[in-house]
Amino acid sequence: MPITTPLTTLLGIKHPIFSAPMDVIAGARLTAAVSAAGGFGILGGGYGDKAWLEQETAKLRACASPFGIGFITWSMARQPELLDIALEAKPRGIMLSFGDPKPHAPRIKAAGSLLICQVQNEDMAKQALDAGADILIAQGTEAGGHGASRTLIDIVPVVIDLAAGRVPVVAAGGLADGRGLAAMMMLGASGVMLGTRFYASRECDGADEAKKRICAADSGETVRSIIFDVSRKLWWPAPFTGRALINDHARRWMGREVELVQNVEAVAVEYAAARDAGDFDIAGVFAGDGVGLIHDIPPAAEIVERIASEADQILSGQRNFQAAPQRAH
Amino acid sequence: MWPDRRIIDLFKTEFPIVQAPMAGVMDADLVMAAAQGGALGSLPCAMLSLEKAGEQIRIIRQRIAAPVNLNFFCHHGVEADPAREAAWRKRLASYYGEYGLDPAAPFNAANRAPFDQMSCDIVEELKPEIVSFHFGLPDQHLLDRVKATGAIVMSSATTVREALWLEAHGADVIIAQGAEAGGHRGMFLTDSIAEQPGTLALVPQVVDAVKVPVLAAGGIADGRGIAAAFALGAAGVQIGSAYLRCPESKVSPPARALLAEARDDSTVLTNVMTGRPARGLVNRVMREVGPISPDAPAFPHAATALAPLKAAAEKLGRVDFTNLWVGQAVRLGRDMPAAELTRALANDALARMRRLAG
Repeated sequence: MPITTPLTTLLGIKHPIFSAPMDVIAGARLTAAVSAAGGFGILGGGYGDKAWLEQETAKLRACASPFGIGFITWSMARQPELLDIALEAKPRGIMLSFGDPKPHAPRIKAAGSLLICQVQNEDMAKQALDAGADILIAQGTEAGGHGASRTLIDIVPVVIDLAAGRVPVVAAGGLADGRGLAAMMMLGASGVMLGTRFYASRECDGADEAKKRICAADSGETVRSIIFDVSRKLWWPAPFTGRALINDHARRWMGREVELVQNVEAVAVEYAAARDAGDFDIAGVFAGDGVGLIHDIPPAAEIVERIASEADQILSGQRNFQAAPQRAH
Repeated sequence: MWPDRRIIDLFKTEFPIVQAPMAGVMDADLVMAAAQGGALGSLPCAMLSLEKAGEQIRIIRQRIAAPVNLNFFCHHGVEADPAREAAWRKRLASYYGEYGLDPAAPFNAANRAPFDQMSCDIVEELKPEIVSFHFGLPDQHLLDRVKATGAIVMSSATTVREALWLEAHGADVIIAQGAEAGGHRGMFLTDSIAEQPGTLALVPQVVDAVKVPVLAAGGIADGRGIAAAFALGAAGVQIGSAYLRCPESKVSPPARALLAEARDDSTVLTNVMTGRPARGLVNRVMREVGPISPDAPAFPHAATALAPLKAAAEKLGRVDFTNLWVGQAVRLGRDMPAAELTRALANDALARMRRLAG
């Protein structure tokens, strides 16, 4: 039986499962696949490549299911026309992360889209509620890519208590299976958002090598740092840092971040070349703490189905808890 | 109904809840109260002399019939390094000046002894139903003696690799300790705190990797956290911070007030108090010298030079140098007798699971 929550009702979706707006690798293909499967796909607006956004939103016009488009708020604020392009695609929701959503809220609402705000602490949650957020996403430090320092089991109840039933709360960070969805519902969340799990899907536009590395990585093999931002000369505002798989480049600079900043020009050249060459010993693979739960690269629809059915079994008490899937080591 | 009964059946407790051993802030009173509420009570022995530990266990045995857990540290003790000690005292010199203390005065060495032959004698004599270790497991010959008493052996894993190691070396139950947990990180195969996963990410990955039952620990302090842990595949939970404000704990009145005022972002992982990473309420020395300092001598020697400062400050009602170990769920703590708290935790969790199953 599908899991019904205030989130599924509000969005008109079958499963309370979002795919995260991962900068350019969450393109129209992944977004449409997740939404068609009954989840809620969110296109990754990222740092604001206008041509890319026009191209991908054009593809989404054919998408009959509700979908969203996500932006890095501080980056989008520099190119406000990107929001117009996004809104023309008639997304059910616009997701804003990493910055004050208030200046953009009126345009989003006037266009008939819902305002979805990702928050990392109590103050940000209050700011989002003040801006009129329709859905809050509470993101834990376990998340791949950008985030802050508070962990999921800590931040989710805080945001839920603040929202006090007024808006649904989605949990994000380190979740990759139906157990995660069930656990978040136990905490009081209305749904989950997953990034890394959908990175390792067929429809994700990420490199095959990056997907393979996600499948191979174990728990504890990611690190949250500024290394991969500095190496791209991306200057993120505090308190945001990025979680990525630990590779040679991360090992080289962990604990020596000041030195990295001092040598940024040379490192950035080397890093850009490695990215272009697909050399993931240097180029970063943004991935969350749930990597150890991800071992395959199925179609996105299969991921949505698996998570929904596993969570339903756990919540309804049908699942034999002792028969957790064993992994060969 | 608990969805997984392995821990209840193994421990023979009413609930799959372990009251976490918290060295320095509790004794037999909290163990007995938690046990009377239906949890597994745990006595921390790391900072007790063996005579004192024996005395405490005898009190517990006389008064209650419930199973009991004795907890020991099993770090590999290292001798204090005089050069590092001297550098550490120098680093702390301004505080000594402030309190009119002599940094050259001889100190009593920090008292966190690892599990050894004599601790093993105590286990053999008193036969606790469960023995839990922190920082891995003791040497095989000691572990064999513990297991020969029939005790169930538990230890903490902070990564999947540590969980696999513990299972391979004989742990009967593994505590998956997420980064949210208060007190010392149980880490023993790594010393990097940057990669320590949070409870929600760690628990299902440990559950998938091992066959033994897994307890979730770290950031769990209410019924919803317990229910979430079970959904992730845990067979039980270990809870510490929620018990700190119980009247049966030995937390001092000023520390109790700080716990009551703490917010969810009031804690930090630090190595300055003992030399090993541990999570607690931020105090002055953590803020000014740490929270992580390369100057801190190896565990437990960092605590040696802090001890006179701690004592002097506490006399003035200050906790500038006091380690108030507590996890990220500090704001969920309640002033409630431990037995009542235990029942409330269990009943809230069960009610939540029933409601979502409905």
